[in-house]
Amino acid sequence: MPKHVSRNDSSPGPLGVKSLVIFTVLLLAWMAGFLSRLFAVIRFESIIHEFDPWFNYRSTAHMVQHGFYNFLNWFDERAWYPLGRIVGGTVYPGLMVTSGSIHYVLSLLNIPVHIRDICVFLAPIFSGLTAISTYLLTKEIWSTGAGLFAACFIAVVPGYISRSVAGSYDNEGIAIFALMFTFYLWVKSVKTGSLFWSCLTSLSYFYMVSAWGGYVYIINLIPLHVLVLLIMGRFSSRLYTAYSSFFILGLVCSMQIPFVGFQPIRTSEHMAAAGVFVLINAVAVLQHIQSRMSKSDFRSVFYAACAIAAGVVFLAVVLLTYFGFIAPWSGRFYSLWDTGYAKIHIPIIASVSEHQPTTWFSFFFDLHILIATFPAGLWYCIKHVTDERVFIVLFAVSAVYFAGVMVRLMLTLTPVVCVLSGVAFSKLFEVYLKDEAPQRSNLESSEDEEERTNKYDKAGKLRKMKHEQTANSESLGSNIRTLVILAVLMMLMMFTVHCTWVTSNAYSSPSIVLASYGQDGSRQILDDFREAYYWLSQNTPEQARVMSWWDYGYQIAGMANRTTLVDNNTWNNSHIALVGKAMSSNESAAYEIMTALDVDYVLVIFGGVIGYSGDDINKFLWMVRIAEGEHPKDIRESDYFTERGEFRVDSEGSPTLLNCLMYKLSYYRFGELKLDFRSAAGFDRTRNAVIGNKDISLTYLDEAYTTEHWLVRIYRVKKPDEFNRPQLPSLAKKRKIKSSKKDLERDINRKKRGAIRNRPVVVKGQRPKTKAT
Amino acid sequence: MLEAIYSLPFLIFEVPHLKLRKPSWIAMPQPMTVFILVLVSYFLVTGGIIYDVIVEPPSVGSTTDEHGHSRPVAFMAYRVNGQYIMEGLASSFMFGIGALGFIILDHTHNPATKKFNRGLLIFMGFFCIIVSSFACYAFMKIKLPGYMQG
Repeated sequence: MPKHVSRNDSSPGPLGVKSLVIFTVLLLAWMAGFLSRLFAVIRFESIIHEFDPWFNYRSTAHMVQHGFYNFLNWFDERAWYPLGRIVGGTVYPGLMVTSGSIHYVLSLLNIPVHIRDICVFLAPIFSGLTAISTYLLTKEIWSTGAGLFAACFIAVVPGYISRSVAGSYDNEGIAIFALMFTFYLWVKSVKTGSLFWSCLTSLSYFYMVSAWGGYVYIINLIPLHVLVLLIMGRFSSRLYTAYSSFFILGLVCSMQIPFVGFQPIRTSEHMAAAGVFVLINAVAVLQHIQSRMSKSDFRSVFYAACAIAAGVVFLAVVLLTYFGFIAPWSGRFYSLWDTGYAKIHIPIIASVSEHQPTTWFSFFFDLHILIATFPAGLWYCIKHVTDERVFIVLFAVSAVYFAGVMVRLMLTLTPVVCVLSGVAFSKLFEVYLKDEAPQRSNLESSEDEEERTNKYDKAGKLRKMKHEQTANSESLGSNIRTLVILAVLMMLMMFTVHCTWVTSNAYSSPSIVLASYGQDGSRQILDDFREAYYWLSQNTPEQARVMSWWDYGYQIAGMANRTTLVDNNTWNNSHIALVGKAMSSNESAAYEIMTALDVDYVLVIFGGVIGYSGDDINKFLWMVRIAEGEHPKDIRESDYFTERGEFRVDSEGSPTLLNCLMYKLSYYRFGELKLDFRSAAGFDRTRNAVIGNKDISLTYLDEAYTTEHWLVRIYRVKKPDEFNRPQLPSLAKKRKIKSSKKDLERDINRKKRGAIRNRPVVVKGQRPKTKAT
Repeated sequence: MLEAIYSLPFLIFEVPHLKLRKPSWIAMPQPMTVFILVLVSYFLVTGGIIYDVIVEPPSVGSTTDEHGHSRPVAFMAYRVNGQYIMEGLASSFMFGIGALGFIILDHTHNPATKKFNRGLLIFMGFFCIIVSSFACYAFMKIKLPGYMQG
């Protein structure tokens, strides 16, 4: 692993050797980072993972196909039926533009690469850039050696790998690079005070804004840094130049992103930056006056100015908020401070597992040894404080807090942990590898000491020399020193082993293709999701509308290319609540909602056969909660629990649960299924219970397709003229599961025959034609 | 010219004869104080105190053994996203020990330290790091029995 090479960097010598070492280490870090992210591609194939990446991929493909401006104007009528979604105005386009321009450059060079492969490998490639920008930042803050350590750490640390494995094509993959690079440029501009660097900072900030909503963190952290520097009395003209130019340029740049628009001057999240801008100008003016005035005059002017300025700013903010020019804090932001807020008010945020608060396990799992060295690095930075180290300390403290609130924000903690651990390790190695001189420093002058250290440094490259030297000196501990060094190296080795293990076992699952391991270690691939989506794309009419829980919206749109009602862009809570209400009501009530929404197919995920825990029954309580938030009269969470307050699917479960649509769709015909000889029929492996309602009959829906392992089940919603015909139930019973062809024919026939349909229409406006098949 | 502008407000205002003195207890905090504060909050956050506040788990779990006796369980095994309060504090204590070890190791190169003390410090720091890493490994093994295997 490249880590061990970085010890050599402190050796002086001709510039060439030093930069060669730096170059090699960074290159190795890049390669190690890239290669360790390829587990998923090697084990499965080059596919897009998870949920959100499917949307990103779909819109990137749309952009490559139709051009950038058509992408910005894209109205997607396939999502959020019947509302549709203005995609161009509701995405951060940085990700799509990045991979689109890579694709464009490659095609100019006559290198034909499919856009999917670019999307799959984008995050691993950017991890190398992240390593380099982390190196640059750490170099500015501490030293080159620390920078190399930090680069090696960030390349392999699981906290960052979790978001950037090959195939996880998400905003965070490029945003962490943008974050670290912006911070590097900011530190650089504070150090130099040059306009050039602060312009670059705002350009990099612009890229960050275009890439990820987490840019709010930057626009709050940098003003915080400035504020703390002001309080510490470290105001300087460098700081003034850096901040004022960054703020103005960054503000103008960030408003160019359509999704961000006027938010930077209207929402409370951005007001801190503006306030600090006013403050630093006030301080600058006061400093100027101070240089022109006698001390006593100045003092009175100062206090008067302070009081007036504080009052004016406070009043302005309150009034503007009151009259609605400044929007109050958004719920997502608010939930960061009042940690119970989301749980009570916004179930849709609390329902996402990555928004849960962090346990100690995640800290250790994602950072391993770095979690212990992080405070040590912080200690060095606090002890030898400078302007830029104040910044890293603030970064560290705020990131630790945010990481504690949400598992997902481990991502912003990881880079700063790497930086500070780099500092700690570099200091440690500095002390234990070369600092022999102080042992004899009592006898010698400091100049001699310096010479000596230099000499040792020269010798440092050759191990043998060092051992001879230490043996000569009467220090206590060449042995102890060697022992410590060896142990620390062992620990670093454990760190890399841990990282590889975690990457390979925890973070490299595409979650679209599942793998299960048998007793003998053989591997079975469960490809049910793609099977179902492919079935949808082949056997349903082009305009068919599929209702599912919002988690699967992007995948249905991306892989099956069908219209969905709700998806992972959870912008419309009431629409989601309507779907949740349909899922948690009984069949006839659900049918009303489904006809009102023009639903043709219903898709549920059911893991009871293979023991897959992330299925819809396990998510069901969230559907109920979200539905209850909007329709408190019809849905009550307590109805779905037993009298003892348990959520059970077996015969003791509450009758409301046993008769709701989601339960019926998940367990339809499951009561007839015996999984193995020991367990009873209808034994649910995920919840370890025999289901309570084995005899399920569906009146308004019709089973259309069930995948091999029953993971995905698709039901067709009968039209009003179908379900009260007497012969249908017998027909449905005869049909086998995989009679897909017949189903298609029937669908088409039905479409032709169903010219007179009197279903209720919710939306008064024009709908796209449904008979366009 | 500028002086004229500066003196403008004083044509209206009279400079009050106030003597505002910075209270003696407001001073730039020492680096050590800041660090201790940060370390304590770090200890709490890595111990999952925010999780404890929101989810409100019991401090120690309990299980029933084969004789029907209820026995306390310190660790919520197999559950990656859950923890008991004591468990979180114990692990973050171990993280803290490790961090202290690294800081102690740094102090050993202070020239004023005597030879014996230096050896003691190295030993202490070293011991802390080793204990913390082994303890964390053991904790991980409890939480995730397959940890680092295969």
